[in-house]
Amino acid sequence: MADVFQFLSSASLEKLTGRKAENLDGLLDLIKTCPDTSIFYHTFSAYMKMREIRLPYNNDFTYWISSSLNEKALAEKIMAIDLSEYNTLTSLRMRLIEIIEEYRRRESRTFRKRADDPFYLYDIIRVVYLTDKFAYDLQSFREVLATISIYSIYLHFIECRLEKDLHIDDFSTWIEHSLHLPDLARKIKKIDLTAYTMEGLRTRIIQLIDEHARQR
Amino acid sequence: MKEPTLFDYRDVVGPGIIEELTILASYLAGRSIKMVSSTKVGGGVAEILHRIVPLLNELGIETTWDVIKRDEAFFTITKRFHNALQGYKDHFNKALLDAYMAYNEKNNAELDFDEDLIVIHDPQPLALINWHQKRNNKWVWRCHIDLSHPHSHLWRFLKPFVEKYDAAIFSSPLFSPELTIPQYRFHPTIDPLADKNKELDAAYIDSVLMHYGIPRDKPIVTQISRYDPWKDPVGVIQAFKMARKYVDCRLLLVGDKATDDPETESMLKLVRAEARDDPDIHILLFNPSKATEINAFQRASNIVMQKSLREGFALTVSEALWKRRPMIGSAAGGIPAQIIDGYTGLLVHSTEGAGLGIRWLINQPDFAQQLGENGHQRVKANFLITKHLKRYLLLLLSLDNQRKHTIFLS
Repeated sequence: MADVFQFLSSASLEKLTGRKAENLDGLLDLIKTCPDTSIFYHTFSAYMKMREIRLPYNNDFTYWISSSLNEKALAEKIMAIDLSEYNTLTSLRMRLIEIIEEYRRRESRTFRKRADDPFYLYDIIRVVYLTDKFAYDLQSFREVLATISIYSIYLHFIECRLEKDLHIDDFSTWIEHSLHLPDLARKIKKIDLTAYTMEGLRTRIIQLIDEHARQR
Repeated sequence: MKEPTLFDYRDVVGPGIIEELTILASYLAGRSIKMVSSTKVGGGVAEILHRIVPLLNELGIETTWDVIKRDEAFFTITKRFHNALQGYKDHFNKALLDAYMAYNEKNNAELDFDEDLIVIHDPQPLALINWHQKRNNKWVWRCHIDLSHPHSHLWRFLKPFVEKYDAAIFSSPLFSPELTIPQYRFHPTIDPLADKNKELDAAYIDSVLMHYGIPRDKPIVTQISRYDPWKDPVGVIQAFKMARKYVDCRLLLVGDKATDDPETESMLKLVRAEARDDPDIHILLFNPSKATEINAFQRASNIVMQKSLREGFALTVSEALWKRRPMIGSAAGGIPAQIIDGYTGLLVHSTEGAGLGIRWLINQPDFAQQLGENGHQRVKANFLITKHLKRYLLLLLSLDNQRKHTIFLS
């Protein structure tokens, strides 16, 4: 019998820090000195915000660099960071610093350019909590997935990569190790996060489950 | 009419969101909140509290709402405070500041503050904290106004009171000053089931437009805002005229009927002069209490504009986006938080930009429709009252765990 999967969820409260950046130098300073939770907020948390609708940006830094500084190339380089490869905030912070400093070596003039609008640094308080939703098998998993809030999907599919220092998500882990369905787990694991809204992600996972069921 | 219950919001935001509110609230059973504001009638603060308070109670958080007593003199003082804190020049002598303190002291004597969380709204009752420096509960100041450039003398007087609170809440980082206490961001939100935002049937919308003599023979561009220089109604007419050289459309301006305000009258004269009896420009003076009719105007519009020169949060933007209206807004105040340029609407920086925006959206209805749909999703995720409720629940949880960045509830 499979282990029970209890759905968790998370919510966050945004804190204003009073710190802001007016140019790329200022942004670099914020990234170097802000708490881990600010990096988390502007990357992982922002990931969900940017996926309400189909936006090309996947975090707050890229949105600001693109829209307020018009440095599209730098925005693209940061956008291309695969969050699943930088699964600690320290490594993600270092990667951000590395990309921006490399850009400074090549495009130093851009660091003096003043942004149209400041970048405001936030911090957050995260609350992770249990829901009363459980899955016992693939069918019950599909049923819950269809109605659970997107915050729960976000926690199990994106945020957990950070929490558990794994390159994989909770859903595919459970499907592989508890339901012993490695093929389906592999397909879920391979979903390109950048291609979907959060609702789109829900639909895609359900689609893969349905395809799997049809093939059996 | 019966007020909507939490259950009624399930169909709007989805059952998952309501379930999460219920789960979060279950960790707060027996907790209590008191809201304190200066009025129960009129204005955005009262509007949101009228809905938030019963819904928090429904979630099991015992929530009360007290209003401070005030007379004409206190009203005048705090109106001047309000304006000066948003940047107007003024002079405040000792007698006036003493009077402000006396009103707060009198109100403090008449109110109880036994709840777990006391939320004081805006500057009028701010100084109540003065008599509660030793306390067993948490006090939070909710500031709804733009404090980014406050009158320096007045701010030196008020800031020590603010810093006696456990935390402050602002609508945007744009509006918050530097403080020694934690600050949280609560976006203002709209109620999707309120008269101003609820679904309307097409026949009703038609009847409202017919009643006000607005033909539906061509696309309608609308701005709903006070006749106030900061809302730039004259600029809206100029943008409309620029666009109309290329696209046939009508302009509908709907503004508050605050006729006792001499500024409204002089602004209206300018607006009418700019419109020059153009039959395609409709200028309505409207009582804001006619919320369902305002809803109908928004829903009948092909484009909604908010061309403010200076703005607070401008929830009129979220109201229009919720109705899936393509929106053109200026990059002022809280508007860019609601409009992501090219995705949930068009952000403009000039009258010319607004004119181009009208042409663009009328000529590209598919794009306009996509903007409206995206805008609806953005409002659904960020600017509905259910999000506001969630923030209050999270605030209660975080004030219990002020040193923690992550709180695990089990």
